[in-house]
Formats: sequence, C-alpha cells, structure tokens
Amino acid sequence: MENAIEVAGLVTHYGEREILKNISFSIAGGMTTVILGGSGCGKSTLLKHLIGLLKPTGGHILFQGKDITVMDEDELNEVRRKMGILFQGSALLNSMTVLDNVALPMREHTKLKDSTIQIMVRMKLDLVGLSGFEGFYPSQLSGGMKKRAGLARALALDPEMLFFDEPSAGLDPVTAAGLDELIVKLKKVFKMTIVVVTHELPSVFTIADYVIMLDAGRVIFCGTLDGLKASDNPRIRMFLERQPEQESYSPDDYFRIIAGE
Amino acid sequence: MNITVAVYRGKKVVELSGDIDMYSSPELREHLMALIRRKVPSLPVNFGNVSYIDSSGIATFVEGLKCMKSYGGRLQFFGIPEGIMEILRFSKLDRVFEIYGNIEDVFDS
Repeated sequence: MENAIEVAGLVTHYGEREILKNISFSIAGGMTTVILGGSGCGKSTLLKHLIGLLKPTGGHILFQGKDITVMDEDELNEVRRKMGILFQGSALLNSMTVLDNVALPMREHTKLKDSTIQIMVRMKLDLVGLSGFEGFYPSQLSGGMKKRAGLARALALDPEMLFFDEPSAGLDPVTAAGLDELIVKLKKVFKMTIVVVTHELPSVFTIADYVIMLDAGRVIFCGTLDGLKASDNPRIRMFLERQPEQESYSPDDYFRIIAGE
Repeated sequence: MNITVAVYRGKKVVELSGDIDMYSSPELREHLMALIRRKVPSLPVNFGNVSYIDSSGIATFVEGLKCMKSYGGRLQFFGIPEGIMEILRFSKLDRVFEIYGNIEDVFDS
C-alpha cells in the first residue's frame, strides 16, 4: 500500500508553547486512518498541518511525495483540490442555500455547466441522505443535517482524500453511527484515503484501519486497530478503558497554586 | 479522455477512453449534446477503455439521458469495467441507465 501522506519530524508551537513534538508517521492510501487522543493533545493542530492551513516550526509533510510545508498558496490550493474537509462546525455559508453551498467549489474550480452542477449537487446530497433539502438554509437544518451538508460539500470535487475533524461531535449516537457507516462506504466504493480526527471510541472501532494516537504532542501509537487494542501502554489503556487522570499535584501544591504563592 | 464517434452496423456509437473527470466532462457534454440535439433514437456508449469516471461524468450522462427521454431516445452503455459498475451500483444508477455486456447485446435489445 502506497503512502498518501508522510510526516517527518513535525514540530509546531503556539507562541512559546510546543504543541507537536517531533512527530513522524505515514498515512496509507485508500485506507481510513484515525488520529486519536484526548482533548488538547494536538490532534486538531496536526490536522490543520496536514491540510496546509498551518506552517510548522520544523519538519516536513509529504503529500503524494511533495512537501506541502514549503509550498506557496497557489501550490497549496492545487493540492487542496484533491482534499475534501469536513470541519467541526461544518463551516457552511449561512447566506446560501444547501444547493449553493455544495455547488460553490464546483462553480469556483471547474468549467462545468450549471445544469451539470445541479445534478452533481443532487447526487452528493442523496449520498449523505439530504435529498430534497437543496433549497434549505443552514439555519433551517439540525446539527446532524449540517454535518451531512458539510460532508456533501467536502465531496463536491470528488476528492482523493477526505479529512474529518471530530465528525461525531455534538451528534446523537444514531446520527453519529450513520455518519460512521457513510465513511466506511466512501472508502470502499470510491477508494478514498480518509483521515479522521476523533476521541470517540465507538467511531474508532467502526471506521479505523489504522490508528495514530497522540498524547501531549507526541505519537504514542501508530498501527492497526487490533494493535491498539492489544497495547499495554498505560496511557493507551487509560484511554481505552476510560480511566480518569491521576491527581498531578499534592494538596500542598494545589494550595500554593490557588493562593498565588 | 478521448472521445470518438464510430459507425457500427449503420449506427453511431460513442467510443470513450481514459479518465472522465471535472476537466474532461465539459468536452464530453458538448459531444453528447450535439448528437442528442439531432434526436438520435438510440446512442450506444462504449466504456471498455474508460479508466475512471467521477461524479461530473456521471452527471453529464444523467443530463444526456434526461434530454433523450424527452423524445423517447435511448442511452445505452456497454463494456463497463467492474470498478465503474460498482460506482453506478452504489449510486443506484445501474437501474437508471440501460447497461449491456457488449455491443452485440445492445443491438439485440
């Protein structure tokens, strides 16, 4: 299996704070890779680097063999045409109907006639279970429907790679399971490379071929789902068994912190 | 993508090869619509050498079929590779388009 993305020695900072600490891994083409980790571990930051929205402090990210960390905006836009991205908040434009939201990338990036585009939009909306909602505005949709409309837009240009940032966040379990099923189908039928950032374990167990687990900005696991389940790394076991963090400081330390000593 | 129109047993047959994608679909639409505007009663399309079709290609054929249906015309596909067939099945379009194994099956229909 050829690698779609290779990350080597990635380091990034927000101000003085180091967020990603020299991380390296590969993402296999045509597979679903889940980037897993607790809140604040750096997984959304990593995703933003993979799609070229952030420049790292150090290291390289090869997308189909080309280093996106040194590309200018025009080169990055060309790469991003091959990527579909479903952001956490769906990022739909509220002043546009669902049809116009999904059609936007097609109108911006292709020379297709509008009659063809309208058929494509209806195909994408049917794929995500939103047939008949073309004329609705985002404010008229539920949270789950907005996610699916966002996914239809992410699929607009038939991307080779699809990125999801916390797709299940804010969804009920049934809607989240429907989205997981759709992710599995997209990989199978369209042979897409899919990267999902999440901390939802049921979702991970349904969709993942490979898992990259981050902890405090470092990769602590990179391998198959079975390998993750079998791992005896204490941090991984805590995550999989939903154990809380131990108190990190003593009562005396706590007193000193809140007393401002 | 390469598109040619051959004549087989006195009928026009569209021969396609390569990738049908966002870049090539406008050209496909132009050729297809030029034939459909002449109200050809049936239009066989050979997919045998098509390596890839994206949603813009499928939408172009849906548009073509819609136009042909308005005058009772038939759009007939044959020689579809399995990978493309899987996409048509997934989008339920295998039940919308007339699909045949080979050109002889088209002519026998």
